[in-house]
Amino acid sequence: MTTAAYLVLAAVLFAVGLLGTLVPANAIGRLVGVELMLAASALTFAAAAVGFRELDGQVAALVVIAVAIAQASVGASLVTRARRPE
Amino acid sequence: MSLEQAVFAVAGLVCIVAAIIAATHRDPRTAGGAFLLTLASLAVLYAGLAAPAVSAAVILVGLFVTVPVLVPLTVPVSHGPVAAGPAVAGAALLIAGATFAIIFATIALGEVPINVSLRSSDGYDVAALRDIVTGRSAAAVGASAVLLIAVLMAARAARRDPQRSP
Repeated sequence: MTTAAYLVLAAVLFAVGLLGTLVPANAIGRLVGVELMLAASALTFAAAAVGFRELDGQVAALVVIAVAIAQASVGASLVTRARRPE
Repeated sequence: MSLEQAVFAVAGLVCIVAAIIAATHRDPRTAGGAFLLTLASLAVLYAGLAAPAVSAAVILVGLFVTVPVLVPLTVPVSHGPVAAGPAVAGAALLIAGATFAIIFATIALGEVPINVSLRSSDGYDVAALRDIVTGRSAAAVGASAVLLIAVLMAARAARRDPQRSP
């Protein structure tokens, strides 16, 4: 399997996430869009790590996933807070 | 077509279709389900890349973060549309186009390794991964650990006293 195929797939995933973030149907769509962009960047790191035979990319992917967890938690808190009646 | 190519084709197709549904569907429940499917297909792709640690992390994120986050959000469904004009859609297309241009230019210039299938067959190099985590990537990994602990503490505090959460 070629590295380019993984990179193109990640680029498509990033574009879909970007579209979901900038043209959202609702707040959750925006949250999911950002998550998709982070997932695309992690996939790029992992593919590059295998392609270049360096494990640093996999560590970077794990860091990106950790950031995605934090982002999902903060985003979910904001959405929940925005919906809560005063 | 080899097994690896077939797995990549199926998982990649599922990933893209599920991502499009997750990003564009107006029903949050459908979007949440599609996002989980995207994460599952990503885990398969990572496994195909011989990155079991990343694959496991994606599965753990899906099970213990995305599901607990999405379920409370998607039960009280909100359909409030967010205004987005043609300028915003144009910006999205511009950024996506630039991303593709960079990717294709990099591939055309030969800067990308050709084949990920030529990876080492001697298994996952845990010792090398440990050296990186404790060595030159120690700051990033430490910061990520602190971030995760802070998020977990904030989530616990918000659940314990939801009225006082920011």
